[in-house]
Amino acid sequence: MKNEPIISLSHVTKRIGRNTIIDDLTFDVPQGEIFGFLGPNGAGKTTTIRMIVGLMSITKGQILIKGKNIKTEFEQAIRHVGTIVESPEMYKYLSGYHNLVHYARMVPGVTKERIDEVVSLVKLEERIHDKVKKYSLGMRQRLGIAQALLHRPSLLILDEPTNGLDPAGIRELRDYLRHLTRTEGITVIVSSHLLSEMELMCDRVAILQRGKLADVMPVQDFTQGNEQAQTYLIQAQPPEQAVAAMRDMEGIKEVKLAQGGNVEVTTERECIPDILEGLMKNQIRIYGVQMVSQSLEDRFLEITGGGPIG
Amino acid sequence: MVNLVLNENMKIYRRVRTWILVGLMAAFVLFVNFIEWHSDGKQAKGEGWRSELKQENRQYREILKQPKLGEEDRAFYQEQMALNHYHLDHDIRSTDGTMWDGVNGSASLMIVITIFVIIIVSDSVAGEFSSGTIKLLLIRPASRVKILVSKYISFLLFGLLLLITLFVISIVVNGILYGFGYMDLPLVSMTADGQIVERNMVINLWKTYMLNGISTIMYVTMAFMISSAFRSSAMAIGFSIGALFAGNIVLEALQRFVWSKYLLFANTDLTQYLDGHPFQEGMTLSFSITVLVFYFLVFNLISWLLFTRRDVAA
Repeated sequence: MKNEPIISLSHVTKRIGRNTIIDDLTFDVPQGEIFGFLGPNGAGKTTTIRMIVGLMSITKGQILIKGKNIKTEFEQAIRHVGTIVESPEMYKYLSGYHNLVHYARMVPGVTKERIDEVVSLVKLEERIHDKVKKYSLGMRQRLGIAQALLHRPSLLILDEPTNGLDPAGIRELRDYLRHLTRTEGITVIVSSHLLSEMELMCDRVAILQRGKLADVMPVQDFTQGNEQAQTYLIQAQPPEQAVAAMRDMEGIKEVKLAQGGNVEVTTERECIPDILEGLMKNQIRIYGVQMVSQSLEDRFLEITGGGPIG
Repeated sequence: MVNLVLNENMKIYRRVRTWILVGLMAAFVLFVNFIEWHSDGKQAKGEGWRSELKQENRQYREILKQPKLGEEDRAFYQEQMALNHYHLDHDIRSTDGTMWDGVNGSASLMIVITIFVIIIVSDSVAGEFSSGTIKLLLIRPASRVKILVSKYISFLLFGLLLLITLFVISIVVNGILYGFGYMDLPLVSMTADGQIVERNMVINLWKTYMLNGISTIMYVTMAFMISSAFRSSAMAIGFSIGALFAGNIVLEALQRFVWSKYLLFANTDLTQYLDGHPFQEGMTLSFSITVLVFYFLVFNLISWLLFTRRDVAA
């Protein structure tokens, strides 16, 4: 059981009119993984998520959730899924509690105790009986999480879950997702435009581009990249002289003046001591050296060839 | 399924808007009955009904002497006279000046029920789309058909609530205005083959309610269809209430065409068969029922197709 994927997409295609929105997506997500979905605006992230949860029809291919086909066995398949859509829209004229009762009634086996449990989990006890229209965005997000967890799903799908959350809220969400995957073995699929967040959150990421799967890889591979050269930031005084001095040194792939009087240099790790020694010989004072790991964002832009991220 | 209906009910009754509508309904009944009582119900109190009926019959006799009187009108006045005679002969008082006059008159307020249910229905599907809640609603282990059916049931229940409000308030207010006497007064009416019969007033009243209710159901189904098709509550309310009022005007203009009897509006009012004057010659109750069932199925089929097949993107 452990190795059977919680969700598996095979040759999933979505056409609307003549446009192919999603083109032949195939991937599996095993249990307990946090799987990230990246792609520029219009790449088809949201469409894919909507097909997974049955909000949109699938033109070709199939999606299996715990072995159940979302198209033909919708009720059995969706039972295992909890979803948080970008901004969780709740019934504003109902209290938070009644919103949860509403969703609880739609799944067999969700007890009153479970509702209370979830409410305390997202720390909404004090305000749960207030009308949702009086909630702040952060509270609505938390209520959104609560409704997704009510029925103890095996698969949690989050579409832009960090929208509208402040940094503390994002961090809380991240820790909480980690906790869920570790302790309850929940699988998470998350899409976000905050790449740095994805970097911290996900085990694996998939990059979608124009409806096609550009790449799927573990997030570490992603950020570390394949090449040996790394970029370092050197705080040196005066920086202009440092740049001039480094131009003549060996093993340097690129050097330029960075913001705040720093020097950005791309080189191999082994060359760093020699570079520093050379700079000191040139009477340049060094205050610090820092490795700049290539971020997901850089890699992302590299793969997708720039363009807006969303 | 029961849970889904509970959900829909929760979304209807935990809203201030709904109770404003119910309150308005009650206010309308009070207002209309009070005005009616104030303008002419007051005089008919007591035992004046005999002389009133006699007076009426004298008038009718005069009218019937007119040579140019149409056949329909002639039949109508003759029937009225026969009924008045029956009242006098059997010493059964007419409803004039009793609470039943007001209660029966209030049945015409069914149109308000139709409008209010249309308002709730129109917002029910379209509102879920415009507020975005549809996304969280459709990702539960409940098929879209079940959700649609549960919404439909909740509207019927809401209509029933308004109807009971109408019934209870009209009984209470007319009872207070005219006195709660003559509770067991029968309704004297003529059957299609010219027999005069006495009917139970309350049963007859509910029969009228139910016949009018069919028209309510048709317009509500139409609003539901438009709401699912266009996802715009304004459009659904506008079109349905427009059709409700414009229907009769359109009908009058089209009456000379034979095909107009297949229009929805020509068949919604089933009470036309109670008094024996259908919209066109040759229309029968079973014809109208067939036409209504056809429209009902088409409307629901369209709602169902559009609601279950469409992608939710927004």
